[in-house]
Amino acid sequence: MLDLGAPYIQRGIAEILLLAVLAGVLGTWVVLRRLPFYTHAIGTATFPGLVVAGPWGIPAQLAALACALGFGALLERVQRLRRVEPDAAIGLLLVAALAIGVVLASDVYESGAGVDRLLFGSLIALTPLDVWLTAAAAVAALAANAALRRSWLATGFDADGARAAGVATARADRLLLLAVAVAVVVSLDAVGALLVTVVLTVPAATVRLFEPGLRAQQLGTFGLAAAEGLAAIWIADAFNVGPGPALAVLGACLYALAAVVAPRRTLAVAA
Amino acid sequence: MSAPVVTRELRGGYVRGVDVLGGVEFTVGAGEIAAILGPNGGGKTTLFRALLDELPYRTGTVELAGRPAYVPQTDHARLDFPVSAHDVALMGAYGRTPFYRRVARADRARADEALARVGLAEQAHARFGTLSGGQRQRVLIARALVQDSPVLLLDEPLSGVDRPSAVQIERVFAELQAEGRALLVATHDVAQARGWSRVLCLNHGQVAFGAPATTLTTEVLSRTYGDELVILDGAGQAVCVSHHEHEH
Repeated sequence: MLDLGAPYIQRGIAEILLLAVLAGVLGTWVVLRRLPFYTHAIGTATFPGLVVAGPWGIPAQLAALACALGFGALLERVQRLRRVEPDAAIGLLLVAALAIGVVLASDVYESGAGVDRLLFGSLIALTPLDVWLTAAAAVAALAANAALRRSWLATGFDADGARAAGVATARADRLLLLAVAVAVVVSLDAVGALLVTVVLTVPAATVRLFEPGLRAQQLGTFGLAAAEGLAAIWIADAFNVGPGPALAVLGACLYALAAVVAPRRTLAVAA
Repeated sequence: MSAPVVTRELRGGYVRGVDVLGGVEFTVGAGEIAAILGPNGGGKTTLFRALLDELPYRTGTVELAGRPAYVPQTDHARLDFPVSAHDVALMGAYGRTPFYRRVARADRARADEALARVGLAEQAHARFGTLSGGQRQRVLIARALVQDSPVLLLDEPLSGVDRPSAVQIERVFAELQAEGRALLVATHDVAQARGWSRVLCLNHGQVAFGAPATTLTTEVLSRTYGDELVILDGAGQAVCVSHHEHEH
């Protein structure tokens, strides 16, 4: 039986509800703007920062944010060269970040068992600071969505037409990528560097199968992410398994189920 | 008052030193429709990018009466996006709406009006991706109408559209012309271009510009289209047969 009076459970529940806000608000844009691979890559790119944060005595979130922003800037630079396909550039940098993190963890700092926590996080081992940072990120995401929703919508629908209509598409894109990077960083304590997409992509992709409107998509994703997260905490507590992996398996199963029961795509194909 | 669209010695392209456009020079007056003719890859879309100030490398002069409204080819728009026809039309007002304000009620009314003008009042709340190709084209034109620009750039708006949509679009063109707006329409349809005010022939540079009656000679069309041209002896006219897959 889940002990709702235990502080670590209360923090886990608060964290997952706040992450569900990020999933609903930003996860929806991640899926609509086809950014799941970028999101996964940003999560992985934070791994070297998380490894060195402890030995160097700097806050893990700060090190992770520096890595995420550095990765984003490097990615933009590589893509501007136009010699490498965007997905190939993300793949190359992702593998490089993971390799650097592994070398640092195993050969330089001998991080040992702590690596598991960095890669997969834990919803039931959070500090109050982790929860406060996620709360701040959730508020910022809601504000960004309110201010930039129209720009994100017009740019994602038709960037050329949006630019001609006076929408600052490049700025809107950069702010979306920045918002996703911040969401990734605050998700790390709960789900780790390798499982951020479990929160920021899978619930939104599941709801997307039913082709709802934007607002319904965001609310539905919030509800599904919250339900999956609460169930994962219960599974972790009841069966003594990692909450991150439990959340990943649960998310994948629900996605598969939704893919079977969702109506077939009704939208027209390009003429 | 100067013309809404004036270019002088316009050159440019996507790579430094490699011009896709070479020495383009033309003027389109208020209430005129200019056809932009040319083969695929001949520079029609690149000209629009130059007019929109989006070409990485550009020299020469461009004078416009205001920010042009641009209607891209419909396959540039995402069909799977959760937007209705009304949402898309409303995007024409986003550029003038500060991020901290809701879209003005007047602009919402304008979007309704624009959809009615292109014959889609009843489809206002239909998902964009569920509309036919011709209807989608009309929605994108409605977005340009909401933008309310004196200059409209339309990239092959009549390619691949159904007949009712084509009729509706041509009627809107005539109305916009009567309102004194300048329209630049990229097209492959030479016969249609003969009915408009001006014609600009492009093939990696300007081949000719002027009134259709004097400009659309067999010689000019041959230089513009090369092998893609078919001469119809009976009609005494040159007609372009494009390899563009949407062409009818």
